[in-house]
Amino acid sequence: MSEGSERDSTGVVGIEKAPSRIGENPENRVLRALAESFPRTVSGGTQLRPGVIRARVDRSDLYSACRTLRDDLGFEHLTMISAVDYEDRFEIVYHITSYQSRLLIELISTAPKDDPVVDSVSSVWGGANWQERESYDLMGIVFNSHPKLERILLPKDVLYHPLRKDFRG
Amino acid sequence: MAEMWINMGPQHPMTHGLWNLRVKIDGETIVAAEPEVGYLHRGIEKICEARTYPQIIPIADRLCYGSSLTWSHLYCLTIEDLMDVEVPERAEYIRVMAIEMQRIASHLMWLAAYAGDLGLAVGFTYTMRDREVLVDLLQALTGSRLTYNYPRIGGVAHDLPPDFERDTIRAVQYMEMRLKEYEDLFDGSKIFMMRNVGIGILRKEDGINLGVTGPSLRASGVDYDLRKDMPYSVYPEMDFEVATHEDGDCYARYRVRMDEMWESCRIIRQALQKMPKGRWRIVAPRNAPAGTGLGRVEDPRGEAVMYAVGDGTDRPYRLKIRSPIFVTVSAAPKILVGYKLADVVAIMGGLDMCIGENDR
Amino acid sequence: MNLFEFCHGIIHWLVDLVNNLWYWLGDFLPWYFGDLFTAIGDFAASEGHLLFMTVLVESVVIIVVALINVLNFLWIFRKLSGRILDFYGPYYVGYRIGGWLQNLADGVKLFTKEIITPTKADRLGFLLAPVIFVGSSVTILAVIPLSANFGLSTTSEPGEYVSAGALFALAAFSIAPFAILLAGWSSNNKYTLIGGMRSAAQMMSYEIPLLLAAASVFLLAGSFNFVDIVDAQHDMWFFIPLFIGFVVFLICLIAEVEIIPFDLPEAEAELVEGWTTEYGGMRFGLFYMTTAVRSYAGGALATAFFLGGWQGPWFVPDEIWFLIKAYIVYTVFMWLTWSVPRVRIDQMLVFGWRRLLPLAVLNLLIAAALKSGGWL
Repeated sequence: MSEGSERDSTGVVGIEKAPSRIGENPENRVLRALAESFPRTVSGGTQLRPGVIRARVDRSDLYSACRTLRDDLGFEHLTMISAVDYEDRFEIVYHITSYQSRLLIELISTAPKDDPVVDSVSSVWGGANWQERESYDLMGIVFNSHPKLERILLPKDVLYHPLRKDFRG
Repeated sequence: MAEMWINMGPQHPMTHGLWNLRVKIDGETIVAAEPEVGYLHRGIEKICEARTYPQIIPIADRLCYGSSLTWSHLYCLTIEDLMDVEVPERAEYIRVMAIEMQRIASHLMWLAAYAGDLGLAVGFTYTMRDREVLVDLLQALTGSRLTYNYPRIGGVAHDLPPDFERDTIRAVQYMEMRLKEYEDLFDGSKIFMMRNVGIGILRKEDGINLGVTGPSLRASGVDYDLRKDMPYSVYPEMDFEVATHEDGDCYARYRVRMDEMWESCRIIRQALQKMPKGRWRIVAPRNAPAGTGLGRVEDPRGEAVMYAVGDGTDRPYRLKIRSPIFVTVSAAPKILVGYKLADVVAIMGGLDMCIGENDR
Repeated sequence: MNLFEFCHGIIHWLVDLVNNLWYWLGDFLPWYFGDLFTAIGDFAASEGHLLFMTVLVESVVIIVVALINVLNFLWIFRKLSGRILDFYGPYYVGYRIGGWLQNLADGVKLFTKEIITPTKADRLGFLLAPVIFVGSSVTILAVIPLSANFGLSTTSEPGEYVSAGALFALAAFSIAPFAILLAGWSSNNKYTLIGGMRSAAQMMSYEIPLLLAAASVFLLAGSFNFVDIVDAQHDMWFFIPLFIGFVVFLICLIAEVEIIPFDLPEAEAELVEGWTTEYGGMRFGLFYMTTAVRSYAGGALATAFFLGGWQGPWFVPDEIWFLIKAYIVYTVFMWLTWSVPRVRIDQMLVFGWRRLLPLAVLNLLIAAALKSGGWL
C-alpha cells in the first residue's frame, strides 16, 4: 500500500499510459485498462449505473487481475465476496471499491460444479480472509493458498454446505 | 506468569452477544488474539431463499437488534434495484429520517454498552434513558420498538402519524441538549480519556486493507461515507459533514460516533423540512426478473451490502448479506496485540459489535 | 452508663438469678453433690467469669450494631445508586421503610441456594478463603469504638480500650489480600487467578500510602488508642492540617474496599466477577456482605482519624455523630463510584506508587513539622 500515497487524485496510475480520450468517464477507463492488461481472460465489461461497473474474469487470472486492480487501478477495499450456486456453475462475485475514484467494480469469476476452486485473494486484501472462509463454509468454494481455510459460522464437524441448491435440510 | 490462553466468551460480559474472543496473555499483555464467531448463526441467507420478497423484510429486521431499520431499508433498496422500481420521493424522505433516527439510537446503544464496559455506570443508564426518546418516536412511526418492519419494496408501510413533525423537532432538540451533556460527561472525565486516548490504534493502511468500514475506518482518517460518496436515496439533497478523525484510537472512534449523532440530528431536521407531499408507497411487482440487484448503505457499523439474484419467481434465488462487523472483527487481532487485558473491552467495545448481523 | 457497665449489669443479674435457683436445687441433694453445686455456683459468681461473659456479650452487641449498620450501608448503596443512575432502587420489599428489607430478602435467597465447590478447586483453600476474609474484616469492628462509652472494654472506666486499637484495626484490615489471593488461586480458574493477582498487587501498593497517612495521625495524636486520637482532635479535626493525608487516606480506602475506579480485581467487563467468580450461594453473599463491612470499617477509620470521631454538638449523642460521619464518608465513596470509569491496572499502580506515596510522605513531613514546632 506504499504507493497509495503517491497516486494522483484520480487514483489511476496505469491509465496514464493509455491514449487519452478527453471526456472519457472513469468507469470506462478502468474497464479498458483491465481489458488491456488481461486481453484473453477479462470480458463482458459493462457499466451498470454511474459508479458501478461489472466485468467477468476467468478464474485462472483472478489473482493477478485482483492485484492489478489493487496496485494499479486503486481498488483498495474488498467490499464483499459472494458465491452463487447456478444450475451449471458457481459464480464467485467480488465487489471491490476504490476509495479514491469512488468506483465499485463487480468482478465475476466462475467455477464448474465439479471443481469449485479459485485462487484466494486474502493476500491482496486482508479483509478477504474471513469472507472466503464464509464462502467455503456455506457454499463449499475452495480457495487455493488461503492461510486458514476452515469453517467459520458452522461447527467444524458439519458435513454439508448449506447454501448449495442441492442441500436439503 | 507464563503465557496462557483466555476465553473471553461465549458467555462473558465483554462480548455483548454470543461470540468468543480467545486472547493469549503474558501477564496482563496480549500477545495473540483469535476471534471465534458463529454461535448465533441462524442461516438467514438460506431462509430468505424460501420466502417471498415481502416476507423477507421482517427477517432482514432481525439481522441486528441495534439498528434493524437500516437492514430492512437496505433489503428494500436491493430489491428495488433488482426489480427496477422507482420509489416516491416522500417515501425516500421518510426513510432517510427514520434511518437517521435509527442511527442515533444505535450509536446511543453503543455508547451505553461502551460506558458499561469501561465501568461508567452513569453513562450506561443515561444513554439508555435517552435512547427511549428515539425509540418512542420510531414506535409512533412504525408501531414497534425493536424490529420495525417499516420499509416496503416501493416505499414505506404508512405515512407519518399526526403531529409527528412537532414531536420529532422536540426530540431532536432534546437530543442535542443531551449530546452536549454526554460530551461533558465523557470528554470531561480524566479516567475516560486515560482509558481511550492512544489505545487500540488502527492505522489507515491496515484499516483499508483489512476491510474495516464505517466509523472505525473514518476514525483512522479515511474520509469515506457511502451517504456522501456513493449517495443513495435522497442523501444528495442533505447538507451534512462526514465525521472523521486522524488518530485511529478508541477515542477517535468514540469521537466519530458522537459527531455522527450531531450530523444525524441535522439530517433529521432537513428531511422534515424538505419532505414533499404525495404518495409514500407504490405497489411493487410480485416477481423479480432474472438478474442481480445490489444495495449499499452506510450502516451505523459500517458498509452494509446486499446482493440479490432473481430468477423470475417471487422468491430470491440468492441473497448475500455483507455484514460490516463481520469483517471488522476479523481485523480485531491486528488491533488488540500489544495492549493490556483491560484494553480488550475498550477496543472491542469501541468497534461496536453486533452479533446478530455478524453471524446472520 | 457505658457499654461495659450495661453488659456487666446484665450478666450480674442473670448469674444472680440462676445461682439462686442453683443453690436452692443444691439444698435437696446429698452433701457431696451439694458441695459440687456450691463450687460451680461460686465459680459462676466469681469476678473472672463475670468479666469473661461481659466481654462476650459486649462483642455480640458490637457486632450486631455493626451489622445493622452494614445493612444500612447496603441499602444506601442501592438507594443512592438508584438516585444517581436514574432508577428507583429497591422499594418493593418493605416499601414503608424504603425497601430496607430487600437486603434481608437477598440474604434469605442466598442462604437457600446450593453451595457449589468446583471439582478441580483446591478444597481447603476454597473453604478457608471466605473464613479468613470475613473473620479478618469483622475483627476490625471489634476495636473501633463508636464513642468513649461504646466499645469493647474490660473496665468500667470510660475510654479504656485496647491500647493499640488503631494499629490493630489497620493490621486486621490488611489481612484481606491474603484471603483474596487464596480464593483466586484455589478456585482454579483463570479469571479468578488474574483477579487475585491484581488484588494482591493493588492492595499491597495502596497499603503503604494508607499506613503512611495513618502514621501522620498517630504522630500528631501521640497514641495508637482511638480515644486518645479522637481527644487530640478536640480543637481541630485532623483533616484541616493534614488535608493531603486525608485525601490520600480516602483514595487508598477506595482501593482497599475495591469499588469502582479501583475495582480491578472484580472488573466485571474483563474478568466476569474477578476472584469471586467461582463462589456461589451464601459464600458469595459473605464476600458481598464483607465488602460492605470493610466499607463501614473504612468509613469509621476515616472518621476516627481525620473527622474528629464522635465529637460534635451536644444535642446529638456521640455514637450517632460517629455514625453520621461514617455514613457521609461512605456516601462520598458511592457518589464517586457511579461517576467515574474504571482505571487500568498499570495506570492504577503508577498512580499509587508515583503520586500517592510521595504525597503521603509529604503529609508525614508536614505532620512531623507541626508536632516538632509545637503548633498542634
